[in-house]
Amino acid sequence: MGKHEFILLDGGMGTQLQAAGLPMGAMPELWNLTEAEKVTAVHRRYVEAGSRVLYTNTFGVNRLKAARCGRTVRELVEGGVRCARAAAQGEAVRVALDIGPLGQMLEPLGTLKFEEAYDLFREIVIAGRDAGADLIVIETMADLYEMKAAVLAAKENSTLPVWATMTFEAGGRSYVGTTVPAMGLTLTGLGVDALGFNCSLGPKELLPLIRELRRWTDRPLILKPNAGLPDPATGAYGIGPEEFAASILPALREGVSIIGGCCGTTPDFIRALRAALEAEAGDPVQTEPAAVSGHPKPSGVCSPSRVADFGPVRVIGERINPTGKKRFQQALRDGDIDYIVERGLEQQDAGADILDVNVGLPGIDEPRMMERVVRALQAVVDLPLQIDSSNPAAIEAGLRAVNGKAIVNSVNGRPEVLEAILPICKKYGAAVVGLCLDEKGIPQTARERIAIAERILDAALKTGIPREDVLIDCLTLTVSAQQEQAAETLKAVAHVRKTLGLHTVLGVSNISFGLPARENITVSFLTQALHAGLDLPIINPNQGAVMDAVASFRVISGEDRDSEAYIRRFAGGETGSGGPSASPAAGVPGQKPAGEMSLAEAILKGLKAETAARTRQALEGREELEVVNELLIPALDQVGDLYEKQIIFLPQLIKAANAASAGFEVIRARLAKAGGQSASKGKIILATVFGDIHDIGKNIVKVVLENYGYTVIDLGRDVPAEDVVEAVVRENARLVGLSALMTTTVGSMADTIAAIRRSGHDCKIMVGGAVLTPEYAQSIGADYYAKDAKQSADIARAVLG
Amino acid sequence: MEARLTGIPREETLRYLGYAGSEIPPELEADLTRCEAEVLGTVRPRVTWRLFDLLPDGTFSGTGFRPEGRDLAELLKDCRKALLMAATLGMECETLLRHRQQRNMSDAVILDAAASAAIENVCDNLCRDLAERFRPLYLTDRFSPGYGDLPLSCQRELCGILDVTRQIGLSLTESGLMLPQKSVTAVLGLSERPQPHRSRNCEDCGISGTCSFRKEGKHCGQT
Repeated sequence: MGKHEFILLDGGMGTQLQAAGLPMGAMPELWNLTEAEKVTAVHRRYVEAGSRVLYTNTFGVNRLKAARCGRTVRELVEGGVRCARAAAQGEAVRVALDIGPLGQMLEPLGTLKFEEAYDLFREIVIAGRDAGADLIVIETMADLYEMKAAVLAAKENSTLPVWATMTFEAGGRSYVGTTVPAMGLTLTGLGVDALGFNCSLGPKELLPLIRELRRWTDRPLILKPNAGLPDPATGAYGIGPEEFAASILPALREGVSIIGGCCGTTPDFIRALRAALEAEAGDPVQTEPAAVSGHPKPSGVCSPSRVADFGPVRVIGERINPTGKKRFQQALRDGDIDYIVERGLEQQDAGADILDVNVGLPGIDEPRMMERVVRALQAVVDLPLQIDSSNPAAIEAGLRAVNGKAIVNSVNGRPEVLEAILPICKKYGAAVVGLCLDEKGIPQTARERIAIAERILDAALKTGIPREDVLIDCLTLTVSAQQEQAAETLKAVAHVRKTLGLHTVLGVSNISFGLPARENITVSFLTQALHAGLDLPIINPNQGAVMDAVASFRVISGEDRDSEAYIRRFAGGETGSGGPSASPAAGVPGQKPAGEMSLAEAILKGLKAETAARTRQALEGREELEVVNELLIPALDQVGDLYEKQIIFLPQLIKAANAASAGFEVIRARLAKAGGQSASKGKIILATVFGDIHDIGKNIVKVVLENYGYTVIDLGRDVPAEDVVEAVVRENARLVGLSALMTTTVGSMADTIAAIRRSGHDCKIMVGGAVLTPEYAQSIGADYYAKDAKQSADIARAVLG
Repeated sequence: MEARLTGIPREETLRYLGYAGSEIPPELEADLTRCEAEVLGTVRPRVTWRLFDLLPDGTFSGTGFRPEGRDLAELLKDCRKALLMAATLGMECETLLRHRQQRNMSDAVILDAAASAAIENVCDNLCRDLAERFRPLYLTDRFSPGYGDLPLSCQRELCGILDVTRQIGLSLTESGLMLPQKSVTAVLGLSERPQPHRSRNCEDCGISGTCSFRKEGKHCGQT
């Protein structure tokens, strides 16, 4: 494709087929086999109108939908390519395999797993490749994660060019919350050949989004909008061919080079576009491709909803890391993912911009754990991630699971490390941290460290990683041990930032190791490093003084315009260092612990900090389990009584249980310190049954049971019976809780119980859910019916003690 | 027609919470107010609908959709036109509820109830707007898959006709449940005669044996 050329796509297919007699709601792709000549006729009209790329009529084809109409993906895709090919015959027209969304939400919001989505896409890609498609177009995606699965499937199973377009709302987000910059960064990183928008809205409404996207990618841009907005009463779209063509022209000046129409557009629209393009192409100023090459390209990393662009100071939170943390190590060994996710939430609240994720621990399957933790974090934290490992398999597992664009921490100057890890970063479009050390160790001078940085940059560029994605860590050494090294580090940072023009990373807190009042040294070094050009400090954002220093630096550097963020941080006369306030929703307004309050009162009032403090007090002179059995549990019982008498209701019960959990956490931390002895009162497996996604009830039960001191293994929702059986046997659990909310899914509960019984395991089973009754519970073979969370705790006590 | 969320009635939130009439302490009152405000500030309601002629055999014109069951037929008996509608609070709501379940379950429970009340408000507003638009015709009550003897299984077809995934970002799981969860689909009739407001009759309802409202001696049409 030449830079001055435009590529004209086709227009709407579904609406054309409906005009040819396809009933609304029917599957258009069936016609590839049953009414092939009608499909080809639509394609041919587009060729006649001037389309140079035809999208095959395969938008809705995938194994899930094909099964519903008794056809295979291969048949439908082959038919689709055949129809388009027939119309393209003898013309300079390319056939694009059209891949649309699967029609099912991926985890965490939906139930489809990423690898399942990948597999569904892979099948379509292979069928299209074998049928002879010229390129692959993935379109109308609202979910960046689903898009990533499709792009990986396309690139790993074919050598065809891949185009990717998404659908957005006027507010600049997709239905699933993907932002335009996140789309640009992620898809550019994944190496698509062109990207843009289709469907969504009319050309006018999409113009501001195109402008935004142009800032975040250097690839050719695609625009395939609807014919305006539809009138719901009739389904007719708002604008005609001429208006459509006229209003798409400004987008061409924003750098769009591949255009066509989506819903509601017809061959007449394409004809009008062609006429407008011919007029436009005659004007050299307006077709100048400056937009493609001339822009300074912003760089950064992102989650689907949040971008951390490089340049301003971006705090990388370091707390998801087991090094030197007994409690964290215990959580990794126990598979206690919730504890790890908590560390992420805490840092997000404290102002981190990016989260470092390190789960390396001897005896842990690091790739598997990395994938699990990345997925779990993404479900609740919206910060971009930094995959921290030296194990290539763990890095790849993490990058594959990441939704968005991540950083890899790290490579160094050793050739074998660069060779093993850089290609993985390139494939997934990750930025990469290069440590200034090599096989000879850490050089003692700034000059030698800079030389290694240059070598790393060189290797990255050769691998195809863009310069702005190479981040250099000049290494912090402990000032109490090697005092002269602090100055060398600062010198190296300044050079890398200013002369090489690369962004720099530094693990800061190591500087103060071994000294008293470490914070003073850490803060001082941090400030000097920021001044030298450090823009990605890796720090503990929970330390108020450290974040205060960042906030102050942002004022001095001018990054915090009008000191707005600074004033917000210190409003109300706070002196800062108390760290971040809790999440706005977590606090209990107006409740300050008044004087002496008993542990039971603290729990009843739902006061977490107070409960933790009282628990710590109680532990002076008492055994851990004594405190659990004589104080925490009786307090929870009292709350449960009040709930049963309807003096308090559900939100208050949960609040109290949450407060109690702060007490249990104090106990767990103490036991972990003492050497791994568990405070658990027994294991309980919970699951929302197959086919059901309504799991709030199960989650309430989980919180309450955990706060009673039980270990809950939460299998999640939409859990197949065999997964429940497998977990029961593996964990040898004595109690299983199943929930189902819908009448349509209680049958699945009966199946799950039957499967557990068939396995011969003698665990007890309790069931709950809005549509269940004690009678029904009994009839499907459950041992207990729990009408609410409180009762599930009573049952747990009866079974487990 | 814009989706409109105009308020969250407190008594509806409390009803979804299973409130049993005990006194509400001031802290809880504050939580309710805060959570309702948070739902109002976070969710992005979206609606879509289509108008159809009803063919004599009950088929919706231009589609193969002919819903089963006596109850819907009874509702539409005066009607020659009908509407299909879908409304959702969006993934913004889904995300809010899921995130909060991880951070603060007591909040999550209140938010969930407030969101249920909110989607009802969106549907009520849409119906009011539709009634206005189609005057002098009269709207029947809205009737959703799963009500009475209208099978939940017609959900997929209804959603396909409304193209809900592209129009409002609503999708179905493999087992046919809606995502975002705080979503509603329904059929409404348009008649030349005024239509009675039928209180949902429990005896005819598919879940009358297991309904949690009924367990507490109430019913879902109760306001």
